[in-house]
Amino acid sequence: MTGRQVTTAAAPTAVQALQTALAAEHAAVYGYGVAGALLTGADQTAALADWRAHQEARDTLEAMIVKLGATPVAASAAYALPFAVQDARSARRLAATLEDGVTQAYLGVVAVTDETLRTFGALAMLPPANRAVAWRGSTIAFPGMGDSPPPI
Amino acid sequence: MLAASATTLPLFAALTACAGPDPLSGPPPLSAGVRELLDAVTAEQNLIWIYNRTMASYSALAPTLTALLAEHQAHLAQLRAMIVEPPGRSVPRTVTSKPAVPGTQSAALAQLRATEQAASTAQLRRLSGASPALAQLYASIAASEATHAAVLATARTSGSAH
Repeated sequence: MTGRQVTTAAAPTAVQALQTALAAEHAAVYGYGVAGALLTGADQTAALADWRAHQEARDTLEAMIVKLGATPVAASAAYALPFAVQDARSARRLAATLEDGVTQAYLGVVAVTDETLRTFGALAMLPPANRAVAWRGSTIAFPGMGDSPPPI
Repeated sequence: MLAASATTLPLFAALTACAGPDPLSGPPPLSAGVRELLDAVTAEQNLIWIYNRTMASYSALAPTLTALLAEHQAHLAQLRAMIVEPPGRSVPRTVTSKPAVPGTQSAALAQLRATEQAASTAQLRRLSGASPALAQLYASIAASEATHAAVLATARTSGSAH
């Protein structure tokens, strides 16, 4: 779920990129279930709103993949968390990590050659990038690409 | 000597698909992709100029703006790195937009926020026709600028971003 460096020597297919985004949304839906249980007050309210946003995004991606004639990847029964999540602080960190992962997955959609999907991917990056900032409390220079500059 | 990778664009050579350019007629015209990249560089230079002027006018905003400015400088470095500069020619470093800094901190923040939002939208317009790697760079910068706009919307004039 952590931000990995994105390298794209060749453009992925539309279905591949959308399936990767869908897998990230599945992970986010699961992860917010974990994080939300450890949060209270305004943070829990925000986590609930974000959880619902990821469910909507998941449904959108599933519909897009079906429209392309493929079978949407299913959610896993459980996910290995990237670190121990046992209190509000680590829950907020998990939320930020989930949003970074989703942002990165949508950046993969930007690499496809289809212009409509490319724009969809770029626009879809904006909500998770903003949510990541809200959870982390700071911005990063290259959302979707991790903390390091992209490779040249 | 610079070596062009799959993700860099030569600035003045091999810019168009025309066959056999006349070597005596001067450099060939810039391709649409290179023009977009140069526009992106100029836009970042303009943003950096506005940030510097705003911070010079309102030092209390420095705690908020310093980190955002640093990210714009990182954007500029990455965009410039996508361009191959032949010997003797370089990417323009001209700032093309120098708006006046508003008379209040809140208005200055609002100007920065609007500029960030416009810059993000402009990055998205550059996606069409770009290579996958360059499109991803534009999209990532667009997302960064959108987060800047959000941070500036909630920033207090005392200087706190969050």
